[in-house]
Amino acid sequence: MQLAEYRTSRWQDLRRQTGIVLAYFAQFLKMRLAYRVDFLVDLGANLFAIGVQLATLGVLFSKVPALKGWSFESVLFIYGFSLLPLGLFNLISINLYRFAERYIAEGNLDRVLLRPVNPLAQVLCESFNMSGLNELLLGTGVMIYAANQLELAVGPLDILVLLVLVPSAAVIYASVFLMVTAVSFWHEDRMGLAPPIYNVIRFARYPLTIYGKGVQIFLMFVLPFAWVAYMPATWFVGDAEQTRWALLTPLVAVLFGGLAMMVWRAGLRRYESTGN
Amino acid sequence: MTELVLTPWRRDRAATLRLYVGFVRLAFLKFLAYRLRYYTGVVSYTVFVAGNAYLYRALYASRPEAAGAEIGGLTLAEMITYIAVAWIGRSFTFNNIDRMLAMQVQQGEIAMQLIKPLHPQTVMLFEAVGEAAFRLLLFTLPIMVVVVPLFDIHGPPDPALYGWTLLSFAMALVLGSQLNFVVGCLAFDLKNINGVIRAKHISLDFLSGVLIPFTFFPGWFQTLVAWLPFQGLSYVPVTIYLGKRTGGDLWLALALQALWAVALFLFGRLMWNRAMRRVTLQGG
Repeated sequence: MQLAEYRTSRWQDLRRQTGIVLAYFAQFLKMRLAYRVDFLVDLGANLFAIGVQLATLGVLFSKVPALKGWSFESVLFIYGFSLLPLGLFNLISINLYRFAERYIAEGNLDRVLLRPVNPLAQVLCESFNMSGLNELLLGTGVMIYAANQLELAVGPLDILVLLVLVPSAAVIYASVFLMVTAVSFWHEDRMGLAPPIYNVIRFARYPLTIYGKGVQIFLMFVLPFAWVAYMPATWFVGDAEQTRWALLTPLVAVLFGGLAMMVWRAGLRRYESTGN
Repeated sequence: MTELVLTPWRRDRAATLRLYVGFVRLAFLKFLAYRLRYYTGVVSYTVFVAGNAYLYRALYASRPEAAGAEIGGLTLAEMITYIAVAWIGRSFTFNNIDRMLAMQVQQGEIAMQLIKPLHPQTVMLFEAVGEAAFRLLLFTLPIMVVVVPLFDIHGPPDPALYGWTLLSFAMALVLGSQLNFVVGCLAFDLKNINGVIRAKHISLDFLSGVLIPFTFFPGWFQTLVAWLPFQGLSYVPVTIYLGKRTGGDLWLALALQALWAVALFLFGRLMWNRAMRRVTLQGG
């Protein structure tokens, strides 16, 4: 008897992978809801953080009519926008931070590699940080408020652009931290590369024009956090020239995403289990 | 049958002091083992100072002419110094006593602390001093070497203020460690205090004055923070450095800092004693 070769089409494969990711998510939700108080405290702390950041903006803008020509409302809009990709990224990124410890040192990556599902999808979806939902919700609220104050005319095209730019920006976050994470395939990261990079995020929410030329170039092409909030948000609040730049965000996402995948794959090929 | 009477065991004061001071050395050595982590920390702190410096430069540049060159009583140069000194000080006074205590409670290790003839609160205070000594040498000094020339930070208007600033930051260290101990004690009731610790960090950034000077805020907020202990963590030492407190004002600020440190220490004792009466240990 001859066995038929086991094969699936790409479409079937994608459908199966998506189904598995959804199952991971459902599993995680069940686990998380078992600790309801933690969950609520976490949500509370997140709301509080966003409230404090809004108050900071409010205090600073009580001293000036505009910051280098940017009105309070447009900076508020950029801030609200910044929360959307950050929320998407936070939802799936938690395992990137603990990758070195949990997957390499504790050997969980062996288990992941044995399964016929994309290893990166498994790592990202084994745990979710639900506070990301908070950021999505509040970011949308802040954006709507700011857009109303600015009397922006938002058409269907703008919504479409938003739906492309937000995931693109989230991919840029993910690419940067995937590269940082992949470093642990080569070196035991005893220095902690992620925190200083994470700290830059809070300064990427202000209009890029408040920084010096060198910093601007650095944030556009080296550590591309200019593209996670300011550049895409200028589609809505910038002048005509900036609006064109905003549309480059998906391209940056593809470039950095591709680069990050290359680094990640090279790391996976190099991976040797810690063994027993 | 002979009756055995044990004389109560007592340790004299000098021996007690030697014992606790030993923990300063131990903590110093413990953190020395993790020193690599602090190299990237220098980058983190520099990023914070740089980002805020740019932000405040833009803010001062956007000020309408009629409003004058000062905001909240600070010139731009003073403002940049404010940010730099605040973060340099934070690199020295910061510690994770709350997280450590919570972890020991969660994992049941606290049992080992309870069978020793030492008070964990005092041990942790001395460990905080050891950690701060380590931080001063291998974290705060490197940050100063980077930040001071990069942002052209000047000394205080009067050289004597160096001493007062240092004393004030030393008290900020004690105050902060006692505050963290109190927060850590919440773990006896709540078990998981990660959310509480996060909320603490977020509110302290605001209430200690490390992000924005209090004088930028409306009057009611300034009155509120004047009645809270958190200004002693950053706002008090930094304004001392800037020469904004002189004469009686300086003494009052230092005395208030000391008072809050003692009050929080006593409150920590209270929390601890209350927890000890009802503690159930997890794990084995």
